[in-house]
Amino acid sequence: MDDDYYSIDSILSENQKIQCTFKVDIPDMGHLDGGHERDIKAQSRVQLPLWLAFILIYSDYADFTIPPPFNSRVRNALNAEAKSVKLSALVGAGGFWYGFGKMIMRLLDDEPANEMSGLLTKSFRNRLVEVIDQAQHFAALGPAGGGGQSGDAALAFREGLEVTERELFLLAQESAKRTKQWYESTDRLRR
Amino acid sequence: MALPISLRDSITPPELELIASEELVEIVPLISMERTAFISGAYGPLRPPNKARIPLWMAINLKMKKKCHIVPPDWLSVADFLQERLTQETTQPEFSQFPFRFTEIAKLLLDTAPDDIPNSDKIRSLLKDIREARQAKSRDGLQKIDHSELSLPNLCSMEINEIRPFFVRAMGVLTQLTRDPVADSRQFGV
Repeated sequence: MDDDYYSIDSILSENQKIQCTFKVDIPDMGHLDGGHERDIKAQSRVQLPLWLAFILIYSDYADFTIPPPFNSRVRNALNAEAKSVKLSALVGAGGFWYGFGKMIMRLLDDEPANEMSGLLTKSFRNRLVEVIDQAQHFAALGPAGGGGQSGDAALAFREGLEVTERELFLLAQESAKRTKQWYESTDRLRR
Repeated sequence: MALPISLRDSITPPELELIASEELVEIVPLISMERTAFISGAYGPLRPPNKARIPLWMAINLKMKKKCHIVPPDWLSVADFLQERLTQETTQPEFSQFPFRFTEIAKLLLDTAPDDIPNSDKIRSLLKDIREARQAKSRDGLQKIDHSELSLPNLCSMEINEIRPFFVRAMGVLTQLTRDPVADSRQFGV
């Protein structure tokens, strides 16, 4: 997520493919595409990992299209009800939807980038309260409690959590659990 | 780092309790003692039946040996005060004012010296209600979270400690998601 060169999260965020269209012929590189052609022809469409796409797009060798996790269908769904979108399903298990979004945001020009930033921030904020609520609910259940009692909607929401949100969930759960333990412990027996 | 994630950016409640036990409380000693130097300072002398101000940890230690009575602080001794705060807490949108380490001190005193606190059961349940009311408010604060600032005045140390890990992380994520054209262009040199 962050910009640190050594950040594992950042590296993993780049491990997503986006659809690129080459603008120029690239000679002798056809094998990269897995095809049988010798060259990569202009106008050919290739799925490229983000880390490779960056340099191609900035050097104006290729164009890209907004990847499916951020297409208008997903946007509309997020605008309608952010909590019911399964972000993890969009980027695969262990995927960084927000991190991916941030990478795409960097590739865009001012106006669409601001729009993207708005989408990401808004979705994050709308989902955050639910993430924390559920984390605290689970912390209150104690070690024996598991799912079961909670509703299907809550379960579906938890399954749809993206990696960054999962981390937040864990942080909140852990902290709520520790505080609860402290409130319930008593010193009278110890002394 | 080998330190568990949960311990990296916040301290544990027992540690907060330890810090809070440095606060001074009034006691009525049942033994006499000369002024004695401790690492944190010199306290005493204890001359019954005069009151003395000593740190909480020392008061608790003496109390355990039945060598003093603890005089609870004003905000813990009158049930009316807490009752009023609870009303305030449930009717006003802001957090009401409390001593910064009140949860820790209240718990320590209620655990070790319930016989010195009038209406200790009533106080205990009032504190619990107050805590829940305040928790609901900090949850509301979460909705207003922003990448640059968050203002929740009068939050006390234990509450801050509970919300710190995920508030900090969430604000960090929001900072990343907010677009900063200057930084972006610097990074890629365009």
